[in-house]
Amino acid sequence: MKNRFKTIFLNGLLAVFVTTAVVLLQSCANGSDAEKTKDTHKEESMEEEGHEQEEIVRFSAEELKEFGIETAVAGPGKLQVHIDLTGEIVIDPDRLAHIFPRFPGIVKNVRKKIGDKVKKGEVLAIIESNESLVPYEVKSLINGTVIEMHLTLGEVVNDARHAFLIADLSHVWANLNVYQKDLPYVKIGRKATISAGYGIKEAVGVISYISPVVDEMTRTATARVVLPNPDGRWRPGLFVNATVVKEEMEVDIIVPKTALENFENQTVVFIKTDEGFKPQPVSVGRSNTYSVEIIAGLQAGQEYVSKGGFTIKAELQKSELGEGHGH
Amino acid sequence: MQKIIQFVLRNKLLLLVLGILVLAGGWYSYRQLPIDAFPDVSPALVQVFTETEGLAPEEIEKYVTFPVEVAMNGLPNLEKIRSVSNFGLSVVNIYFNDGTDIYFARQLVNERLQEAREQIPEGFGDPQMGPISTGMGLILFYYLDDTTGQYSLTELRTIQDWLIKFQLQTVPGVTEVLGIGGWEKQFHVVVDPDALLRYDITINELIERIKSNNLNVGAQFIERNAEEFIVRSVGLAHNIEDIENIIIKAKDGIPIFLKQLADVKIGGAVRRGVQTRNGIEEVVSGMVVKLYGSNSSTVIERVEKKMEEINSILPPGIKIVPYYQQKSLVEASVKTVTDALLQGIILVAIILLVFMGSFRPSVVVSISIPFSILFAMIGMYYFGISVNLMSFGGLAIAIGMMVDGTIVMVENVDRMLRQSKPGEPRIHVIARACVEVARPILFAISIIIVVFLPLFTLQGVEGKTFKPLAYTVSLAMLGSLVFAIFLAPVLSDIFMRRPKKVKSESQSGENFIVRLLLKFYKPLILFFVRRRGAAISLAIVLVLIGTAIFPRLGSEFTPTLQEGTVILRLTMAPSISLKESTRITQIVERRLMKIPEVNGVVTRIGRGEVGAHTDPINSAEMYVLLKPKDEWRSAETQADLEKIIRDHVGNVPGVLTNITQPIQMTVDELLEGVRAELAIKLFGDNLDVLKEKADEIVRVINKVPGAADVQADQISGTPQLLIKVDRHAIARYGLNVEDVQQVIRAAVGGETAGQIFEGVRRFEILVRYKPEYRNSLEAIREILVRAPGGIKIPLSQLAEIKEVIGPRQITRENSQRFITIQSNVVDRDIGSFVAEGQKAIEENVDLPPGYLVTWGGQFRLQQEANKRLAIVVPITLLIIFLLLFSSFNSLKNTFLILLNIPLALVGGVVGLWITGQNLSVPSSVGFIALFGIALENGMVLVTYLNQLLKDGVPMDKASVEGAMLRLRPVLMTALTTALGLIPLLLSTGTGSEVQRPLATVVIGGLITSTILTLLVIPAIYKWFAIDLNVERRLD
Repeated sequence: MKNRFKTIFLNGLLAVFVTTAVVLLQSCANGSDAEKTKDTHKEESMEEEGHEQEEIVRFSAEELKEFGIETAVAGPGKLQVHIDLTGEIVIDPDRLAHIFPRFPGIVKNVRKKIGDKVKKGEVLAIIESNESLVPYEVKSLINGTVIEMHLTLGEVVNDARHAFLIADLSHVWANLNVYQKDLPYVKIGRKATISAGYGIKEAVGVISYISPVVDEMTRTATARVVLPNPDGRWRPGLFVNATVVKEEMEVDIIVPKTALENFENQTVVFIKTDEGFKPQPVSVGRSNTYSVEIIAGLQAGQEYVSKGGFTIKAELQKSELGEGHGH
Repeated sequence: MQKIIQFVLRNKLLLLVLGILVLAGGWYSYRQLPIDAFPDVSPALVQVFTETEGLAPEEIEKYVTFPVEVAMNGLPNLEKIRSVSNFGLSVVNIYFNDGTDIYFARQLVNERLQEAREQIPEGFGDPQMGPISTGMGLILFYYLDDTTGQYSLTELRTIQDWLIKFQLQTVPGVTEVLGIGGWEKQFHVVVDPDALLRYDITINELIERIKSNNLNVGAQFIERNAEEFIVRSVGLAHNIEDIENIIIKAKDGIPIFLKQLADVKIGGAVRRGVQTRNGIEEVVSGMVVKLYGSNSSTVIERVEKKMEEINSILPPGIKIVPYYQQKSLVEASVKTVTDALLQGIILVAIILLVFMGSFRPSVVVSISIPFSILFAMIGMYYFGISVNLMSFGGLAIAIGMMVDGTIVMVENVDRMLRQSKPGEPRIHVIARACVEVARPILFAISIIIVVFLPLFTLQGVEGKTFKPLAYTVSLAMLGSLVFAIFLAPVLSDIFMRRPKKVKSESQSGENFIVRLLLKFYKPLILFFVRRRGAAISLAIVLVLIGTAIFPRLGSEFTPTLQEGTVILRLTMAPSISLKESTRITQIVERRLMKIPEVNGVVTRIGRGEVGAHTDPINSAEMYVLLKPKDEWRSAETQADLEKIIRDHVGNVPGVLTNITQPIQMTVDELLEGVRAELAIKLFGDNLDVLKEKADEIVRVINKVPGAADVQADQISGTPQLLIKVDRHAIARYGLNVEDVQQVIRAAVGGETAGQIFEGVRRFEILVRYKPEYRNSLEAIREILVRAPGGIKIPLSQLAEIKEVIGPRQITRENSQRFITIQSNVVDRDIGSFVAEGQKAIEENVDLPPGYLVTWGGQFRLQQEANKRLAIVVPITLLIIFLLLFSSFNSLKNTFLILLNIPLALVGGVVGLWITGQNLSVPSSVGFIALFGIALENGMVLVTYLNQLLKDGVPMDKASVEGAMLRLRPVLMTALTTALGLIPLLLSTGTGSEVQRPLATVVIGGLITSTILTLLVIPAIYKWFAIDLNVERRLD
């Protein structure tokens, strides 16, 4: 009897020992979970808070300033959409004169050289005719500038080749290349701003002509802008860029492109409400490089975030940030 | 045993010489040992980085990651391959089984990398292995301070990359120096597309022309007379002017120079990382990476010396300012444990003096400490264990225990000498005394070593953290065993003398303190021996207290090691631009600068040169530089400070903040595991399907009772401008897809057209459109492509250009794309949760063919660990049992001694509870150590009680007398162990938070187990006594 008691007692003790040991070691292995659970709970509570507020973020005035968030009031505005074209300055063929020597002969006198301005009827050169041996005057047919000269003193010239090319550069053409995709928008009467860069002053002209056929080689049509050129800055041969207004319209709501954010696969504008900032899905209409028309979702007079909306978007997405960054 | 002791005493000189050799060897080993702060827990990992400028994640995966992964499949010892394909960067992590030699692994990877290179298309990057280093390898970070304010960030970066980096890389033990911040110098050819049109040149022609006008060639040699002349032709461009004057085309004899088509200037390369400082400026910085296995402290020392040299040759006004150094951490943690070691040694020595009452035996015992420690050093050298917080911590823990064997031996010698007959030769007395206790000592120490066995089976981070400790404890104990058996008898013979004056019999030569203790102890022991019920009740009460308290203890994994450096980590929106993330970071930096304790903030955003970090640009790591601790006003500890930082930084809109520490962070990155309990991985091919199905799984799992924090990875969210070439459109113009893409790449992304050499420095020539012609959707639409025949067509007529949302990154494991859904489990057992979850997914989620769900996460690791422990713990117990049994030859004795364990556990539990600490891995290591120590005490007592019984002393008298006589050794071993740990318990130094729970458990447990040994065991000995009849028969 006594022996049996003893055995039971001893067995019990051993069992206690073994179980304590195992429990101890396991409990510390499990320890990690407990802690981690705690941590993630914290995160979760943060997240839940976010959901309760129905995607609203509040900022203090200082924070707005610190993070560079700016607001503006939605309203109507003018939206200009334009196309950029390339082209070159060419001489207006109507203002060009080829001066031919009437008779073959020897050049006796050259009065003008390249670049000289000439008046209509002004003598350019004197040539002695081979047939009559009488000198005759070669005269300019128009007011203009000598841009080509093909005779030298003493040279024998004939009537096969022009001796002078006189161009009236007071007006030049800007021939613009219009690609297929832009053809619908380039129309006669549209304003075009011509620029050549490098300090050459821009000029504004009107499209006066569009070629009826598209060039087979370049697959572009030509649009023409006649440019007055009193100071001669539009030198023929210059490469120019032209900005043609594609559309110009008054729209009810216009916002800068910086106000648009992509949030949860929607285009949104953040609007300021009494509770805070909240995303407002919008439909956008036409746009140019800087501005965009809002068709729906934003009313005139509403205050919206014009700059720094990314910070608000990031704050709303915060709960998702933690995962998946690349290590 | 007897033979050994006799041999020892006959060959005193030999053993002394051997002993001194061990000491010398230990010292030598110590000098050779690498010194680190913590054990390195990095996995056996080889990283392969491939940088491909400008490629989106999908392309990276297809062209780069996949070939690398395929090449790595089937390597020996391979554990798994995990890859991340990010914008412009592919990282393939090749994990090998723990314990694989890193050089071997690298060699294997390198061989296969050749294969991979062949498979990666030309121009898509060259895969490179990461530095030969580990998570502990980032030993020093610095930035360049330009006091003159005259140097541009590009110039500073050039100084960093071409001067400092090269100098530092020559330091032995430095494997890599990685630069970040500022701008890498490039020669930018900024092309005006209008000019291209004007002169009818394409950007690709221009690139070709630059390439063919920037060469040097050799043309062998010519002979003249007896001499050889080497022929070389130089045509390299050296500067901006040379590049500008490259002729692109000549028409009618009129050359068109590059300068007519483009601006050539010095610019910065495209960057994916920025380094900022104090919220006011950008800086250039670098990080020094230590070679795997090299000695941190010596490398740091050499680097510092080199930096001084470099500082003297840098242009005036520029200097290197280190802002993070592992040195301070290494020093601090080594100081923590060495302090504890020294204080422990002193305390132990005091105890010895007090109890021994005389100087000579104390000397013998004290020598066992340096011997055991140096013995352990030899072992550490042999096993390649570095000096660090844990390995030295193990020695600190063992201090009290390493003297135990010798104490018992010397105490016995001391007692025998006092009691011996004057005529007996001293050496005979010593031999007799030694033989008597040698066997129990052997068994007791063996048991201590055996109880540490389960620690050797720990895996992963815990294994790497605690194995060094297990090694050093076991080694030190082995050393102490060697000392006790082989050297203690010799030294006893040399040092110990017979007392000159024999005191009266009743006092038996005990000193004052022991006599005082005996005066208190005697009535107690008499009481308990007479009323054994009381003894049992006492034990039961104690066990009940322990059982009651145990569930109240909290639990944690491992307390976080305080590294003394605080990092504030910011995670921003995934689509953020580098400019914006820099702006946000500087705002946070300015907030931090308002904290009075903060001296400065240096932040790394994104990544610099690849090798150490692969962070995307939405992640920033802020090193908070603190003033010296005595200047702190509002904070006292690192934890206080972290709170202050949290308060000051507050909520940063759009930013997740997280406070961490440098090493902790790096190691977390390398381990790359899922932090939640459960990780459901969905493998499959199509990213959209993965996303969709993962969302479904989230919904399903959320409905399973017990689910918490269920979340799927966010794999998409990066805006892309997708240019899809219209095949019909290009066909009309006779263009190839490639013709169009080349223009897109060169115009928008830029293309390298050779290099400019400035001495050995080389800088790339990057050809790219002017910003206004490429930086908006509208501008890109207008980029002209020249078709054969000279027609120029705008891009929008050839391709569809749209904005889409693409993947942020693509993660793959073992060559398959996957998405992780993580979850925690609350108020429920994980096993049943997993079963129910699996069923729920099977029933409710319809997975397309080829899609596969696996369940993993922490719970799997725990299950594995539990399984292992379920085998190892019983085996350990069995070994202990066998050892005890073979020592006592009695089942009853064995059980009596095992009784110590539950009571020791009680003390440990109470200790943790009182000090408000949690159950954790270090505290269970404490419990393990406690097993061994508690058993040792019991053994000492029971052995002697058996002895008395055999000598014919009646049971009750034997119980009392035995207990009284063994009071001194039992108390001494308990006290030395406990006091040896006191410094660890009280220390507040770096790393003390890991050692404290351990010390608490051992000290607490020692108190209760000593009570048991001294009061309960003698009382209940009667029921567990050896059967004298059996003994006699055996004898």
